[in-house]
Amino acid sequence: MSSIILEARDVRYRYPRGMEAICGISFHIRKKEKIALVGPNGAGKSTLLKMFNGMIRPDSGLMLFADQPLGYDTISLRMLRKRVGFVLQNPDRQIIAPTVYQDVAFGPTNLGYSETEVKEAVTTALRHVGLEGFERRPPHQLSGGEKKRVAIAGVLAMDPDVLVLDEPTSGLDPSGSEDIMELLDELNHEGKTIIISTHNVELAYPWADRAMLMLEGKILEEDIPEVAFGNPEYVRRAHLSLPTLLELYRELQKRGFHLEGKKPHTVLDMMQCIETIFENTLGHIQPGMITVCNVDQDNRECLSGWLSRRQGISVGAMGTRAKQHAEISQIRLDFTYGVIDKCILKALLGEDTLIMTTESMVQRVNQRVDAYCRESGIRITVNQLISAPESANEENGSLK
Amino acid sequence: MIEDLLEDIAQKNGIRQVNTYLKVATGTGAILLCLLSTSYIAPLFIAALLTFAILFLARVGAKTYAGLFIHPVWFALVNVAGIVLVYGGSTPFWSWDPFPWFSLSVTRESINQGFFVFSRIVGGMSAVCFIALTTPMTDLFIVMRRCRVPDVVVDLAMIIYRTIFILMNQVIQIYQAQVMRLGYSSWRESVHSFASLCGAAFIASWESGEDLIRAMEARCYDGKFALLGENRPVEKMPCLAVGIFLVLSTAVVIVSGNITII
Repeated sequence: MSSIILEARDVRYRYPRGMEAICGISFHIRKKEKIALVGPNGAGKSTLLKMFNGMIRPDSGLMLFADQPLGYDTISLRMLRKRVGFVLQNPDRQIIAPTVYQDVAFGPTNLGYSETEVKEAVTTALRHVGLEGFERRPPHQLSGGEKKRVAIAGVLAMDPDVLVLDEPTSGLDPSGSEDIMELLDELNHEGKTIIISTHNVELAYPWADRAMLMLEGKILEEDIPEVAFGNPEYVRRAHLSLPTLLELYRELQKRGFHLEGKKPHTVLDMMQCIETIFENTLGHIQPGMITVCNVDQDNRECLSGWLSRRQGISVGAMGTRAKQHAEISQIRLDFTYGVIDKCILKALLGEDTLIMTTESMVQRVNQRVDAYCRESGIRITVNQLISAPESANEENGSLK
Repeated sequence: MIEDLLEDIAQKNGIRQVNTYLKVATGTGAILLCLLSTSYIAPLFIAALLTFAILFLARVGAKTYAGLFIHPVWFALVNVAGIVLVYGGSTPFWSWDPFPWFSLSVTRESINQGFFVFSRIVGGMSAVCFIALTTPMTDLFIVMRRCRVPDVVVDLAMIIYRTIFILMNQVIQIYQAQVMRLGYSSWRESVHSFASLCGAAFIASWESGEDLIRAMEARCYDGKFALLGENRPVEKMPCLAVGIFLVLSTAVVIVSGNITII
C-alpha cells in the first residue's frame, strides 16, 4: 500500500454547550484508498469528516495531512481545502451560484486560475460527472441526482487529492445511488483518495477498501468490509444491518456448507459460492420453534420467567411498541427488522426464537410462517406466549 | 409561483439562443421609445410588434402572456380613469353636476392624456415582458457586469437569485404541511399558521445563510465570483430584425408626432 495521506491522533471534539461528539479517535488513511464511515445518526461521522478539511478544529489531538499537522491559519486552510475537497450532504446547501457553470467555476476562480484555466477545469469536471451541456442551467431546475453531481463537479474542478463526501447517496433513488458510487470508483481509479459517510451498508460493503464503524464518537471497528461488517454484535450496536450477501454467506456457513475463498462482495461472488455448494447435499435438522409474545397483554412477569429459563434464545421485536416494551423490560433484542424472516432462518437451523409484537401483528407472524411452510414443505411451529399459569404457556400451536 | 414560472419560460423560450445583448437592446430600446413618443400610436405599435415576437418567435403561450398582462392593465385602467377625471382642459367633452357644489367633467385633453398614458403603460409592459420571457436572469447577470454594475451588487443579486428558490421551496413545504394539518381552516387559525410560517421561514433562511458561508469557505472563497461570459454570436438575422424594429419604431415615433385620439 502507498503512503499515508490523512491521519488522526487521539482527536477529541465537543460542540459548544453540547456533548462530546468525537471522543478520542485515531486512524490513518492511505493514498488512493476508499474509506466508508458507517454508523447511526449522531455517531459523529459528519463531525469527523469536517475535520478533514479544517472546517472543525479538534479540541485536542492532532490531524495530519501528508504527515504535516494541519494549520488553522487562512493560508494553510486554503492550501488544505484545495487538496481535500468536501461535498456536503445537501447539494442545495453546497451549490452557491445561479448556474451550473458558475458554481463549478467557483473554486477555481477563487484559487486565482486564469479564465482559460477556469474554463478548462470546469469542462473537465463536468465531463467527469456526465453533465456536459448543463453549463447555463440554473440548479433549481435540476433533479436530485444532477444536483449531487454538480456539487461533486464543483469540488472536482479544484482537482483535490482527497474527496470527502457526507452521505453521497442520501435522497437519491437506487439507480442514482449506484451511479454516484460508480463515479466515486472511477475517480478512485484515477488516483483520488475517497472518504464517504453513509448509513447504506449495502452500498458501502462492496465499494469500500476499508470500513470504519462509528458509534457515539468512537470507532467501533475498522477493517476491510468483510471483517468490519462481519461482526453481528458490532453491526447491531451500530444500529446497522448486515449486508445481505454477508448474511446469506453466514447462513450458509451455519448450515454446515464449507465455503472456500474470501467472503462474497458481489452477487457474482455469491453465485460462485452457491455453485460450489451444490456439489454437496443438505443435512436434515429438526426445525426450531417460534414463540410469539403479544406485548399488548399484561405478561411482563411471565415473559421474563420464560426468558430466564431459555438463556441465549434469540429475541426479535416488531413495531415501535414492542421495541419500547423490550427496552423497559431490559430484554436484549437480536433482530429489529425483517424479524419474521430471520426467525424462520433460525428455526431452520434448529434454534428456537421469540418474537415480541403487538396484537395486530400476531396474525401476520402466523400467516408469514404458514406461507413459508407451504412453499418449502418444512414444518415450523408457531406458539403464542400467554400470561396464564406456567404450564399452559404454549397454546394456540398453529402449524403445518 | 409566478417567479418560478417566468424563469422556466425564459429558460425554454424560442429565442433563448439569441445573443443576450440583442434582446436586452430590444427591450430597453422599446421602453425608451415609449417614453420619448408624444403620441399614443408609437407605444401601441411597439406593443403590437413585441407581443407578436413574444407569441410567435419566443413561442410563449398566449394564455400565460395574457395572464401576465392582465393585472398591470387593470391597475393602469384604474389610474387612467383617475387621470381622465382629474386632468384639466379647456374643451369639455362631457360633464355632470349631481349637486350644485359638485361637478364631474371630462375634457378632450384629459381623454387624450389618459389614453396616451395607458398606451405607454401597455408599450412599457410589453417591453418588460419581452425581456422577462426571453432572457433568463442568469443571462442578465452577464449584462449587468458588462454594464459596470458594481461587483458587490451583481454577486449579491446572484446569491439572492440562487437562494430565493431554495427558500421558496421551503416555504411551500412548510405551507403544505400546515394545510395538511388544517392550519388554515379558520381565520384565527390562518393568522396563527401564517405567523409560524414566517418564523420558520426566517429560521430556515438564517440557517441556509450560515451554511452558504461554510460552503463558500470550504471552496476557498476569496471574494471572486465566476461568470460565464456571453458566447452566443450576434447572428445576422436577429441583428437585422432588431435593427429594423428599432428603426421602424423610431420612424413611427417621429411620424406620429402629436396625433391624439380625439
